Amino acid sequence: MEHISKDAILESLKLGVSELLANRQYFNDLDTPIGDSDHGDSIYATFSVVAKTIDEFNFEDDLGKLFDSVGKAIIFSGGAAMGPLYGTAFMDSSKAIEGKHQLNKEDFLNLWSAFKGGIERRGKVKVGEKTMFDTISPFVDAIKESVDSNDDFEVLVQKSVEAAKEGMEGTKDMESHRGRSSRLGKRSIGHLDPGSASMFLLLKTFMENIIKK
Amino acid sequence: MKKFINNYDDMISEMLDGFSKANSDIVERPFERVLIRKGSPAKGKVGLVTGGGSGHKPALIGYLGEGMMDSVAVGNIFAAPSVQICMDAIRAADGGEGVLVCIGNYSGDLMNFGMAMDMLADEGIKSEMIVVNDDVASSPVTEMENRRGVAGEIILWKILGYLADSGADLKTMKKVGDQVVFNTRSLGVAHTPCIMPSSGKPSFEIGDDEMEIGVGHHGEPGIERVKMMSANEITDIIMEKVLVDLPFKEGDEVSVIVNGLGSTSLLELYIIYSRVEKTLKDNGIKVFKSWVGDFFTSMEMGGFSVTLTKLDETMKKGVLHPINAVHFPS
Repeated sequence: MEHISKDAILESLKLGVSELLANRQYFNDLDTPIGDSDHGDSIYATFSVVAKTIDEFNFEDDLGKLFDSVGKAIIFSGGAAMGPLYGTAFMDSSKAIEGKHQLNKEDFLNLWSAFKGGIERRGKVKVGEKTMFDTISPFVDAIKESVDSNDDFEVLVQKSVEAAKEGMEGTKDMESHRGRSSRLGKRSIGHLDPGSASMFLLLKTFMENIIKK
Repeated sequence: MKKFINNYDDMISEMLDGFSKANSDIVERPFERVLIRKGSPAKGKVGLVTGGGSGHKPALIGYLGEGMMDSVAVGNIFAAPSVQICMDAIRAADGGEGVLVCIGNYSGDLMNFGMAMDMLADEGIKSEMIVVNDDVASSPVTEMENRRGVAGEIILWKILGYLADSGADLKTMKKVGDQVVFNTRSLGVAHTPCIMPSSGKPSFEIGDDEMEIGVGHHGEPGIERVKMMSANEITDIIMEKVLVDLPFKEGDEVSVIVNGLGSTSLLELYIIYSRVEKTLKDNGIKVFKSWVGDFFTSMEMGGFSVTLTKLDETMKKGVLHPINAVHFPS
């Protein structure tokens, strides 16, 4: 497999979004010990908008357009801290795949690097601060390694999802330096970061489905 | 969970519907999530906007009205309003003299309002932002930029409302506003969490005989968890920490807000005020104006906060300026 089709990407994004919407309560529960129990609600509000935007996507348009319209919809309607972060990430990533109707491995690297860059830019966040960035950052690093060593798509997906999972699980031992949970200081240690968990579920569902098609 | 709501997803919308209808002589609701002072925007006056998550009644929308806020962007419970809502709120307050966005120091609010202001600048709407960070418990004084905004936002809105009415320009208002924020210090304590309507769970866990000093008004943990104390004992601890933070000194004139966090009775709040006033007097600090009541709550959280603002002559005029806001006494 050299390319992933537009159809597969659209369907996988849809599935990723459905998974997020279905896990509203789980994300609220993760947010209870270190936040204010509403991460699931924010995800739900943000990604309901995304689901609608994907449904309205004109299949003749390129994939850059898809990510751009998702990003714009989130920025305008998402709210919470989620909205600007995911919105900027989708919009920045759209530029990396402008004009494309299918994606190869390098395109995926460019897409997710720009996605990661958007979160970094808007949230002014670094690795190790107990955020969604701790999931996306090792995920992108793993894709880069796979591209460099010319892994098959299946291997790239398996390695990058594994790296994202480790990144997410690593937030458990971290002290939060961002957002409401940072107010807990050391008391934030021992709890998974809800933002890293929702990011993981989106990446995992999306990546595992692109190779199923 | 014991709450009088219908569906969780409809609660903000239904609340805004009731609020705007009950107070239709003072406010209007031009958008689903934007409430404005009736008649806003006013020509020749800087527009005053705030916004943020819901769950703090009477904040934020209770401060709409003549002499106070022109427009409020309303988010979900404890979650920032979207860029679209922020843009609509700013536009609705712009009478041509620019808009001052006065919000608490929370990342979601800063990002959404910041992006909205950037986009509106392209449309030619001038705006400035004042970020309130009065909660002394949330970071040391050397890291003021990390402090949360709590009930100190109210005194800022009050003084800026006067300046806007007296025709001050955006630049002047931003300067005075930043000074008001700097002169304002707050500290709270809570013994009972609020119940999050999303999960039906408490916003934090705490023992029956405990309270947490420095709790934020979204249930953010504070600086110290202690056993329950008498009103005077806890008020003395709070006053000690607040007074040294600015520091407030002999001869200063201050405004005082003793604010209930939701389920603490006015009876208790007045006992606390009595001690606050005595402490200030003992320190040679004069109370110019005081407010006691539920002004910035965390739904049904049990606890209170004390906010002191060191006033100069301009600020004193602001404090005395008559207003007609929905939920704040003139």
